[in-house]
Amino acid sequence: MNDKPMKFNVKWSICDLLAFKNLVKKRAKIIDAAPAAPLEAPFINMLAARLHPESQHLIIKEIIDETKTTKTFRFVADGKVTRELAYFQAGQYLSLKVNVDGYEITRPYSIASSPADSLKGFYDLSIKKMESGFLTGFIWKNWKAGDAVITSAPMGQMYHSPLRDTKSIVAIAGGSGITPFRSMAREICHGRLDATLKLIYGCADDGEIMFHHEFLELAKKYPEKFSFVMVMSCEKTALDGCEKGFITKSVIEKYSNPAADSYFLCGPDVMYDFVGMELTALGVPPRRIRREAYGEIKKPERFPSYPRVASGKTFSITVRLKEGSVVIPASAGESVLIALERAKLAPPSACRSGECQFCRTLLLQGEVWVSPESDARREADKQTGYFHPCASFPVSDLEIVLPGNGR
Amino acid sequence: MENQWNRKFDAVVLGAGNGGMSGATQLALSGKNVLMLEQHNILGGFSTSFVRGRFEFEASLHEICDYGTKDDPGSVGVLFRNLGVELEWASVPEAYRLIVPEKNIDVVMPFGKREYIDALENYVPGSRPSVTKFLVIAEEISEALAYIAASKGNPDKKVLLKKYPNFMKTASYSVDEVCRALKMPEDVKNILYAYWCYVGIPMNRQNFTLFAVMLYKYLIRGAAVPRYRSTAMAESFEQRFRALGGTLELNTRVDRILVENGGVIGVETASGERIGTRHVLCCASPPRVFSEMVHPKYEVPPRALKSVNARSIGVSGFVVWLGLDASPEELGISDYSYFIYKDTDTERLYKDFSSLGRPSVQATVCLNKAIPDCSPAGTTILSMTILYKAEAWKNIEPADYFRKKNEIAGYLIEDFEKATGCNIRDHIEEIDISAPPTYARYTGAYQGVIYGYEVDSWDSFLPRLMAMKDEVYIRGLRFSSGWGIRTIGYSSALQCGQTEAMLTMLDMNNGGVPV
Repeated sequence: MNDKPMKFNVKWSICDLLAFKNLVKKRAKIIDAAPAAPLEAPFINMLAARLHPESQHLIIKEIIDETKTTKTFRFVADGKVTRELAYFQAGQYLSLKVNVDGYEITRPYSIASSPADSLKGFYDLSIKKMESGFLTGFIWKNWKAGDAVITSAPMGQMYHSPLRDTKSIVAIAGGSGITPFRSMAREICHGRLDATLKLIYGCADDGEIMFHHEFLELAKKYPEKFSFVMVMSCEKTALDGCEKGFITKSVIEKYSNPAADSYFLCGPDVMYDFVGMELTALGVPPRRIRREAYGEIKKPERFPSYPRVASGKTFSITVRLKEGSVVIPASAGESVLIALERAKLAPPSACRSGECQFCRTLLLQGEVWVSPESDARREADKQTGYFHPCASFPVSDLEIVLPGNGR
Repeated sequence: MENQWNRKFDAVVLGAGNGGMSGATQLALSGKNVLMLEQHNILGGFSTSFVRGRFEFEASLHEICDYGTKDDPGSVGVLFRNLGVELEWASVPEAYRLIVPEKNIDVVMPFGKREYIDALENYVPGSRPSVTKFLVIAEEISEALAYIAASKGNPDKKVLLKKYPNFMKTASYSVDEVCRALKMPEDVKNILYAYWCYVGIPMNRQNFTLFAVMLYKYLIRGAAVPRYRSTAMAESFEQRFRALGGTLELNTRVDRILVENGGVIGVETASGERIGTRHVLCCASPPRVFSEMVHPKYEVPPRALKSVNARSIGVSGFVVWLGLDASPEELGISDYSYFIYKDTDTERLYKDFSSLGRPSVQATVCLNKAIPDCSPAGTTILSMTILYKAEAWKNIEPADYFRKKNEIAGYLIEDFEKATGCNIRDHIEEIDISAPPTYARYTGAYQGVIYGYEVDSWDSFLPRLMAMKDEVYIRGLRFSSGWGIRTIGYSSALQCGQTEAMLTMLDMNNGGVPV
């Protein structure tokens, strides 16, 4: 810098310097003149809390038998902690937070009712009883109308984006993966979502078809907006006009236009793997395929990248707590989250698919295997050692830092 | 009384945003026993990123000012070096591309003082004298601030007057006022003002000192972004902080700052844990702290509320993140940073921040232009930002919210396509959209504000700095974010945290009395 500053005035020299000198005085004057009144209520934060409440306290209003193995639970706000249900986008899910015999666990379920229904005051979750299902066994045994249930806010990425997706949606559902598409079907037929829906619904048993009657009605009433075809994989079916076998290329080509449609997938992992391959073979680019979160991985050994040496073993996890640490067992075939839940140490969780980041935990030592289908770790997280216990399996002894749990 | 605490610390850092991370690290570096509490499951505040499909999006950073290079660091580079926080950085290739279709402006402005002046002269012949003068004053201001910092806030007034008179003379004026005195032609201002939206208030109110230094630093130092997103920056702070013996607890929200006889005595978390401390470094905003967090309420001095009410609450953000299934070359995206404005009148543009019509401003970044492999080969990350005043979203109901976000995002994409001739719509593989409630949700920011208070000349960083001593309203409580003394932006918040941490140490040595 030159030693001699440039000659310059904004107004005139003394005035400029005086203004500088008075900056603090002027500031004090402005502050002193302001009212000491309470501040405006932060309506943006209030809107955020309505859209994304930390949790929702609901009551079971009604339980409807949907099929032999499926019940629809209708939930309403408890009116105390939760005064209104959070609005959502058709295709999103709620994660139940249930205390099962002293164990805090979470499970995501797509919302089967529509966003319009939530404005009327209810959510439907249609839940299929799993053989040896830890939670569903508990629900079938215990839940009755009037019971209180805690859920997350609506979450998830599988909803229609008018900017990304075409107006022609093809929904491919497997089994109980049908639920988000019932929400979309209602939303579309009732003119609240500007799109059309062609539903390809794969099912293994005539008696397990969900919402069949409603779909028939909608297809009849709104043929220009909604159509559906059943694809039955069972040997025998009494259903007229259905396809038989699996949701193959030829079925997809017959009922949709792979060159233009947007495909939404929800179902079991084997369906994602199979239909995903079929769509790719049909030349559908990734931008026209949306897939619901992969779901909890039950058998990590079935993935080629899984290190076989770990299979069947039991490892120990050293869990660092706020003060001290504890050592817990973890079997190779179960996610680290399940090991933590068994030890009653679970961090917050919701999606159980590696997607929502809720359970993000720091790994100090050891190695985990992360399913490539459920690896939504940030690049820096991978480098630092943060991982998602819900989608990670121990392949050695581990040492982890448990994130805070209660807020 | 002593038994009321579950734990005790020399200092508690409330919120792990930019200012919290730098402040906590500084305190830990000085051997203090520090607890950093963060309500989210990741530290960083706005310095974060998120994954959608095969893309990882930078949540809010456009570019960091005054980082410099590893070998020739700017003030922010020095901050990282002094705190011992190391990470990989990438350089932003050019200053900006400014497009104002209605004024037929489409210019690419380079970094480098001479290069910038030459480019402007090329676009607007005759611009050289006023722009050169502008940058000479900006340089003087930048050196004056370095001198003030070196004097630890006690500059010799005579030195200031002799060596940095233009720093003093321009300090109380807006950019418009100074540029008028410089007789800067309109055509020149239109291009030189492009960064105005980084400060978020119109040029007839935006303080000259702040804008001049920002532009100057961008030109001489270029701009930088973390190689692996802001999360890498946050986690580098985390690792350094932990290595220094600091305690970081995530998923832990502080609900109360406990105050007795005008001084901090502790904090209380949402789960009811009471932690004793005399010193809180606070990333939460003064509006939230003084209206909701200080406990008991009568410990909030009236002047603290006056101070909040006197000042203008700044803007919030709205961002559209796009993961595109074609490369920048295939799409025709040639630049890192695009400012696309409907008009050059910043007052009119600013006014539109208060309504939800078609946006008249967008600041769009193509991350691949600084980090070519930030997304898989053959793809592109594009993010489009617009600013909003809270009132624009006041009457939005949840049932309108998603539709409204899509509508505005659609306008932004269309305007970008029109301005650049690129086809975006047919390549969207991933899209996500944030709006003011998103910022409120993830950080608890009052009204979703991302910029803190507006920087009118009377509330720019110089007067904030000069009035600092009179504006500690509760003993031991210091604000370390964009709401603090250094004003808005990543660089400012990081520096604010470090400065307030040093002041906290002086407080500690002074028997808890603010210095």
